[in-house]
Formats: sequence, C-alpha cells, structure tokens
Amino acid sequence: MNSILVRHKWEPYLWILPSLLLMAVFVVFPIGIVFKIAFSEVSKSGVVGAFNGLANFRAAVNEPAFGTVMSNTFYWVVSVVGISTLLGFIAAMVLNQSFHGRKLARSILVFPWAAALVIQASIWNYIIKFEYGNLNNILLNLGILRDAVNWRTSYQIEFIWECGVGIFVTIPFVTFCVLSGLQSIDAAYYEAATVDGAGFWKKLSTITVPLVKPSLTVSTVLNIIYVFNSFPIIYTITKGAPANKTDTLVTYLYMLAFYDQKKGQATALSVIGFLILCAAAGLYMTITMRKEDEL
Amino acid sequence: MTRSPAAKRNLHALWLCAAALLVAVVLTFLPALEFSTVVFTKRSGNTFVGDERYLEARAEAEAAAAAFEGAAIHETVIERVNSKGETTSMVTFDVKESTRMTIWQLLASIGGFSLSSVHTAHAFALCVLLAVVLGALSLRGQLACEHRHLPRSTRVLRTCAAWLGLAAMLCVPLFGMSCNYNFTRQVSLYLTEHAELSGQAVPALERLLYSAAPAGELEALLDGMTMTTLWPLWALLPVLFVFLLGLILLCKGEIKPTLARGGLYAFVIVLCVVILYPFFVMLITAFRSNAETTDMYFLHILPTTWVWSNISDIVARGVPRFLLNSILLSTGATAIALVCGIPAAYAMARMQFRGKKSFLGFVIMSQMFAPVVLLVGITQLMNTLRLNDTILGLMFINAAFNQAFAIWLLRGTFVSISSEMEQAACIDGCNSVSALIRILLPMAAPGIVTTLIFVFINAWNEYTISTVLISTPTNKPITVGITQFSSFNMIEWQYLFASALLATIPVVILFMLIEKHLVSGLTSGGVKG
Repeated sequence: MNSILVRHKWEPYLWILPSLLLMAVFVVFPIGIVFKIAFSEVSKSGVVGAFNGLANFRAAVNEPAFGTVMSNTFYWVVSVVGISTLLGFIAAMVLNQSFHGRKLARSILVFPWAAALVIQASIWNYIIKFEYGNLNNILLNLGILRDAVNWRTSYQIEFIWECGVGIFVTIPFVTFCVLSGLQSIDAAYYEAATVDGAGFWKKLSTITVPLVKPSLTVSTVLNIIYVFNSFPIIYTITKGAPANKTDTLVTYLYMLAFYDQKKGQATALSVIGFLILCAAAGLYMTITMRKEDEL
Repeated sequence: MTRSPAAKRNLHALWLCAAALLVAVVLTFLPALEFSTVVFTKRSGNTFVGDERYLEARAEAEAAAAAFEGAAIHETVIERVNSKGETTSMVTFDVKESTRMTIWQLLASIGGFSLSSVHTAHAFALCVLLAVVLGALSLRGQLACEHRHLPRSTRVLRTCAAWLGLAAMLCVPLFGMSCNYNFTRQVSLYLTEHAELSGQAVPALERLLYSAAPAGELEALLDGMTMTTLWPLWALLPVLFVFLLGLILLCKGEIKPTLARGGLYAFVIVLCVVILYPFFVMLITAFRSNAETTDMYFLHILPTTWVWSNISDIVARGVPRFLLNSILLSTGATAIALVCGIPAAYAMARMQFRGKKSFLGFVIMSQMFAPVVLLVGITQLMNTLRLNDTILGLMFINAAFNQAFAIWLLRGTFVSISSEMEQAACIDGCNSVSALIRILLPMAAPGIVTTLIFVFINAWNEYTISTVLISTPTNKPITVGITQFSSFNMIEWQYLFASALLATIPVVILFMLIEKHLVSGLTSGGVKG
C-alpha cells in the first residue's frame, strides 16, 4: 500500500486544513452569499433585504432576454466543445506521427492555451473589423479579395465568430489531452491489428478511440465547465450587443449585476448556472469516482 | 514482347505526365487574365424599357462603345413603382472595355510597365521545363527497372523533377495572387506619380491593354481598372497535380505513402499558420503607427515603418506598473496555492482517513464554479474583508480557485512516486513533515514546478475578477490594464497590442517549458488515480 503511517487520527485533517480553509473562505462563502442574495429582496443600491422566495428567479426568467441568452449558452457550449474536441482529436492524431518539426509544431500549438483570453479576443476583434481589420488587409494585399468584406454584418455572424474564437483557444487543451492518451497506447496493438488486416478506420474505432476515451472524457467535461464559464471572449468582442442577442449566461449575469444593478436577478441566474453545472459536475464525479475506487 | 510490371507502371506514369503536360500547355494558350474597366456610363431617366428615352441613351452608349475595340455594353435595370402605380425603370448603360490575355501574351509584353508577377510565370515555365528535362534524362534505358534497383543518380534526378513539379504547381496560385496585387499597385502608382512614370509606362500599358484606346485618355481608362483571373489559370492547378503524381510515381514507384506524408505536412503547416496568425497580427500591429492601424487600403502586410516608440509610449502610460502588479499577484497567488495545496495533496496521496472521498469530491466541485458566476458573492466578501481593490485580495481569490488544479496535479505527482523512502524514514523516527520536506518534495520537483507555472499563468491571465474588484489604476494587473487603451469610441490598437505582446511573451515561454509535464499530469492525475 502506497501510504505512510499516521500517528494521530486527526493528523490528515491538519494536513488538509489550510487548503480547506482557503477554499471555504474564498469559494464556499461567496457561494453562500450568492444563494442568500438570490432568495432575498435587493434594493438598487445593493442592500440585501428580507427573504422573498423565488421572486428573483421569476423576474430573471421573465426578462425578454432570458430565452435568447439560454439558447445562446447552449449553442456556445455545444458548438465550441463539440467542434474543438473533433478538431483537437484530429490535430492530436497528426501530431502523434513522427515528422520533422514535430516539437516546433507542439510548441506553436501551446500559444492559444497560454495567452490570456482577453488578449486573444482583442486580437480577433481587430482582425475581423470591417473598416481596417487585418483579415481584409491581408486578403486584399494577397489579391484574394478585390473589395473589403464586412465580416460581421449581423449579430448572428458575430456570434459565430465568437464561437470560432472559442474553438480556436480550446483546441490546444483537447489536443494535448488526447496526445497524452495516444502516447500511452502500446504500438504492439497497432502492429497486431495490421497483421490481422485492419484498415485505418478499423484501427481508429477499435484501438485508438477506446484507449483515448479516458483522456477525452476528462478534457470534454473540463471543457464544458470552462466554456460555460468563459467570459472574456464575448465580453471583448460584442459585449453581448445588440440587446443581449449575443450574450451567454455569464456575460448576461455580469451585465445584470454590474451595469443594470439588478443583483437579485443576477444571483438567481448564478444559481441556475450552478444547477446546470452541477449536472455536469455530477456526471464528471460519477465518471471520475468510478476510476477512483481503488483509492 | 512482354513487359515487366515495373516497366508497365513506369510507362503508365510517363503517359500520365505527358498527357498532363499537353493539357497544361493548351491551358496556357487560353486567356488567363482579364483586365477590365468601365469607360463610359450613361443613366437614362425614368423610362420604360424600349421607349424613346431608353433608345436615346442606348444610342449614346453604343457610340461611345464604338470608339473602343471589344467594348461591351452592360445594362442594369432598376425597377420601381411611381406614385401613379406604374412601374418605371432606371436603366444604366455601362460600356465595359476588357482585354483578355494568355500567360504567353503576358510574358511577351514585358516592357517598361512590367508586372513583376511575370517573374512567377517565368518561374512556373522554368520549373515545368526543368522537370521535363530531368525526368527525361532519368529515363534512358531505365524504364524497365524496379525502383529499388535504380542507380542513385537516377533517383536523385527523378526526386528533383518531382520537387520541380510541386514548385510549378505552387507557382500557379502565387501567380494569380501576385498578378492581382502588382497590377493594382502599378496602376495606382501610375495614377499618383503620373509624370515620373509616364515616359515608359504609357506606351507599355497601351501595348498591354489598349492598342485601340483614344490617345490621351489612358488615365481615365486606368482609373477603376480591375484585373480578374479566369478559369484556365486555376484549371492549371489540378492538371499540374496530375503531372506531379506521374513524377512521384516515376521516382517512388508508389504514390500513397508520399501523398500521405505530403498531406501530413500540409495539415501541420496550415494548423501552425492559423494558430500563429493572430499572434503575428499582434506583433505587427504593436509596431504600427496610429494612423496605419486604422487604414486598410494601401496598407502593406508589414508596417511601412516599424514604430519602436510605441513601447516607450506604453511605458510612459503605466504599463510597467501593470506588469509589476501582475507579477506580484501571480507570485503571491502561486505561493498561497502551493503552501495550501502541497500538504493537502500529500495527505490525499499518502494517508488514509475518513472523509477523504468527500474532500476529493469537494475539490472537484470547487473546480466547477468559475469566479464569474460568483462575482456578486466575491465582491460582497471582499467588501466585508476590506480586501476589495487590493492585489492581496486577488491573490487569495486566484489561489483559491486554482486549489483544485494544484491539488490534482500535485497528488498525481506524489502518487507516481513510491513511498518506500518515506516509510523507511518514518521507521527511523522521522515525522511526516520532515519526510515530506526532505524526501518527497525534492523527488517531486518537476511536478511541483509544473504546478507552480500552471497556477502562475492562470493567475497572470485572469481577467474577470480583476476587472470587477480593482478600480484604482495603480493596482490593475496587465490584463485589465490593457483595456485602458480601448475606450468606447476610440481604440489605440498599437498600444493595446504592444502591451499585450509584453504580457504574452513570458507566459508563452513558461507554458512551453511545462507543456509536456502538464498534460501527462492533468490526465494521469485525473484518470489513473
């Protein structure tokens, strides 16, 4: 057994105490406050009043923007996580081959993961500007375009761009997770499959995918959480404009709380966000805990 | 006479090459470029198609068209309903003059007004010619030979021929793009610096485009001149690809592995280009002048002059202070996260106790809640603790929200190290604190460094909490600090990106250092337990 002797029964608790304390104060406490506000009356100036049941929730759900925001959040999470997982998987398959410059390619792939989201979002915001954006500039210079193209004619298209940026910054994480899974696969499996006459697709579906699944699960679940909570991309590129049409839940609740001073509704939305994430968390826990049985 | 399979295959490859080459030559004799300009526009008033005013306008347009060779009249009809409910039309007659040229004509027209993209056409022709010559040279007496028995010289010749074939293929889109670019540039140059260039340019342009143009009207003709590439040019691409395949077949005997390899490199190159593109934009925009950042037309890809003073400008506007704040914040957050995380991870990895599973669950749960969702709660808490608008507060928040990952990564590292040494030390009377510090930590150093850098980068890149909690400018970390360059109605892109550049370089380098460890830590710590 890979454990050491514990002299006192309470010793382990002493070891985890600092961490527990830190998280209790700075994570659990805010959660408590949010829940308290969500079920209380809040004045415009932010003074928290008496318990008022589900009034905040009702108000939040009855806002005209609520439906759009929820469907945007859904599309945002599904498209960003789905597409980046697919593309990241392909990129990992390619980077798992040996070729010249592989190390360089891996280092380059780190860029979108390492750089701050707010910075990358600003860059993309500049790139797709109509009047002077860099995409138009480069395409005009290369002679691919003859006239500048307006890359953001409508909010739907802007939202698609935001999803694109989300995918762009998410791909490296998926790729590296899958890559670490791929590298732990014994080459003997593939050799045996080749001897048995299995083709590329057969090998992919019977060896690669099942063996990479654990890494893929971790990356997907973590990505769902990150992408759901992702704030800077949308806040930088459109700020949810026009009229919350490109908002997701987190940018919307930020606007509600700090611009419209509707803290009650904002916290109610936070709680709704919790519930959605708890579903994801539960899923994650069941998957992870199953692997942790030997613990 | 029966041929060996190798000879048969080689012969097929040869036929493939020859056929592709023939088609390619035919294509180069078809018009590949079209230069066109509107020389005359006439709008008829509100009319009905076919009535008097319409005919009048049309006659005028036809008269104008007659002055040019090959001019065509384009009619555009806009219909609308007037107040009486009748549908009237406004007809616009554009007399469009156009000249079509084949690649050969373009090659022949090099004169004073040269399109520098013609060099690409030269390169293209040269590549094809050389490929053919090299291929032919390698054929002497060796058509029947198996590929692995070929002499070295022949193999080299054929490989070179294949590379030339690839080069010829790549020349085609380059030609199209640079032609367009150069032509537009030459014309705009001619129009702006007319006097200087006219001596050589006018006759050459005339020869190139307007042998029948009325004298002295060239400037008007060039204004609004456009160039289009026509389909024969792009048809060259697949044809040359077939030629390339033939060459590869000749030199390797098999196409599939070569293509797979080429596809692999193509994918990697495209991926890298796409990923580097925004960072390239950041780099070049950081050194542009203010005027250039918001000017699209006549802007080169690279800055016309590299404005290094942008850096000194942002230094004067407080960016060093933001960077310092970021360093402070990230270092503090990392220190707190590790001081709290290492003991917890140690207990999780080495000790058995009740509630271990619940603590793990708690850690995982805390990962679910991003600070954004909790912002209202966090601001309230910070007000209560009197930590709002301070870097110290940010340190604690960042440390707390990175606890999950820190414990996760560290636990994975600790578990992967055998506990025998510590157990031996414990038997020798060493307590668990010194066992951790003296034995485990040195062995776990790589994992700890990975965690350290990871938390550091996360704290460095954090934006949302800082933007809400910090209002004093001198307390802002860099991610919030850069937004001072983008106000509602004006964004100073060059300063924004210059500071972003300074903020990005260190984290990217740090990240590259830990990339390998981080990934194995994330998945192994998470999955294998």
